[in-house]
Amino acid sequence: MVEFKKIDGRSNGYWLVCGIFLALTIWGFYAWYLALVYGHCVMGLSQRVPWGFGTAAICYTIGASAGSLIVSALSGVFGKEEFKFFSRSACVFALGTIVAAMLSIMQDIGNVENVMNVLMHYNPTSVFSWNSFLYSSYFVIGFVYLMAQFGEKRRITKALAVLAVAWAVLVHSGTGGIVGFVYSTDLYHSSLTIPMFIVSAIVSGLGLLIPMWLLTFKWTNRPLDRDLMWYLAKVMGALTILLLYCFAAEALDTAYVPGNSGAIHMALFDFRYPYAWVFWVIQVGGCLLTVLILLTPWGKTDWGMGIAGFIVAIAVYGERYTLITPGLGYPKDLVPGMIFRPFWIVPYYPSWVEYAEIIGLMSMACLVYCIGLKIFQILPERGEVEEA
Amino acid sequence: MTSRREFLVLLATSTAAIATGKAMQTSSTDVDLSKYKWSMVVQVDKCTECISKMLEKQGIKFEKLPLDKQNELLRNLRPPCVKACDLANNVPRMPDNPRFDCYMIRIIAAKATEDASWRFFPLMCQECEHPACVEVCPTKASYKRPDGIVVIDLHRCIGCRYCMVACPFNARTFTFMDPLEHLEKINPEVPVRKDGVPMKCEFCRWLIDMERSEGVKNPKPVCVQVCPYNALVFGNLKDPNSEVSKIVRTSKVVRLRAGLGTDPKVFYHDL
Repeated sequence: MVEFKKIDGRSNGYWLVCGIFLALTIWGFYAWYLALVYGHCVMGLSQRVPWGFGTAAICYTIGASAGSLIVSALSGVFGKEEFKFFSRSACVFALGTIVAAMLSIMQDIGNVENVMNVLMHYNPTSVFSWNSFLYSSYFVIGFVYLMAQFGEKRRITKALAVLAVAWAVLVHSGTGGIVGFVYSTDLYHSSLTIPMFIVSAIVSGLGLLIPMWLLTFKWTNRPLDRDLMWYLAKVMGALTILLLYCFAAEALDTAYVPGNSGAIHMALFDFRYPYAWVFWVIQVGGCLLTVLILLTPWGKTDWGMGIAGFIVAIAVYGERYTLITPGLGYPKDLVPGMIFRPFWIVPYYPSWVEYAEIIGLMSMACLVYCIGLKIFQILPERGEVEEA
Repeated sequence: MTSRREFLVLLATSTAAIATGKAMQTSSTDVDLSKYKWSMVVQVDKCTECISKMLEKQGIKFEKLPLDKQNELLRNLRPPCVKACDLANNVPRMPDNPRFDCYMIRIIAAKATEDASWRFFPLMCQECEHPACVEVCPTKASYKRPDGIVVIDLHRCIGCRYCMVACPFNARTFTFMDPLEHLEKINPEVPVRKDGVPMKCEFCRWLIDMERSEGVKNPKPVCVQVCPYNALVFGNLKDPNSEVSKIVRTSKVVRLRAGLGTDPKVFYHDL
């Protein structure tokens, strides 16, 4: 029986951490305020690249949430009782990040006052419309699942865990579909996008949770079983290799179409634009570095696992960026079979407002987690498996 | 004093009356518009002549310009059709700021091979029969009228820009800032958009609806009306005697990106 206990939350360190997250959250909301007052011109977007960091943030936070919820349900769905230590905290983080995701949608849309129309005027052919119901129901399922865990209702928790995992997969498949189903943009349309989204969701979820747990247990002076952490880090490493495989398969799938040669060349090999840098340095480089770290003996240490997690979490953000922006930056083939003008590649550089918005939202999710630790019994007294 | 029974009867009849009235009103409008299938034919020969003469007057040899100058020139080129469209539809133009510059019509230059001569033509919303923008819109703010015109309901639009991403023709632009500051003149017949919503060519539906209600037999968008070369032909594809029907039936016309299956209703002749 795992004993969950609130943390005291009276130390200066606790208040300092909460203060930093709160300050970053306020900074993010200030950036949103600027966008509301002056319009989307405060962002790095343009008529040709109307989706950027904000849209990447939506995909990323939903992915991180789905990944966290899947990790949370490990004990319930797969019978891995030893992971019950983490089920509550991962679920709280999943709920915090889905709230961040919904807020990032609000930040990204241009006409916030009409946002309720998404729920009032359902369009069955729009993937976005499906998602409005998937996201809101996902939050409700996650919340009920957390409550069932608090009530220690074993059978209901198990049933809800299965439902939560299924819903998390569905939610993130829908998010992948937003991009993957667009057929008019050379670099978008791919059947691999959806499964790749699921893999990257679990990777980013673990990438954020591993350093978070290591720090939480260390700072609250609670013992943590390093073998469990190492097991999760190995799962993260294996899925990162799978993710690299997906990147290669998707890039080759796109590159094999002769009509896509210009677009794929720009996205992968034209270093005059930011896209190739982000692809090779952040996305591929970040994933490779994570795998390399985990393959060394240092990778088994707290620092090694924590840094590897942090790097892969950023690499997945890079993947979201390269999935969304290069396809828009490269001109659409308006007159197929002909040379046409105007023809120019639009580079996309996010403004500080876009950075502030995503940092603010992720900080808000972390702040929810920190406050949750103080208010609810979500952290185990001991994070170690007791010998039978 | 009204009894509960009377009150319920009153409520039920009022609801039925309102519902019937609304249904009748909707159906009559739909029937009215469904007689039409508005379409446009762009005669590229004539457009090329118009633009070539404009460039000639300014002493510009388009083919000699480097790529970035060609891009810049076309971005800022405003032949009569573009100029009239901008003014009539309250399009906020920002020539100094290409990132946020809005448009409804753009001028495109195209040629089949390197040594061929450039041909010029306008590109606007292609009013697709199976529009990708309508398919993806999460609020049904983008919808297709029974006469085939794809319109944006600004009261429903949330500004998510999914329609812009999905459009195969980049026909939509977004108001990144308050458009009011960038309008030379305001046409009171057309709503001035706020910031944070997309805009596109709607075949000047405000004008063709107005002209239709006044009994004009062949209503035309402003670009068609002002074209000095009569290069743009507009009409009802459902009327076999309309000029567009005749051209589409008897000439070699092409539709842009036809392979995507969106079935555009703008045809290009002699491209």
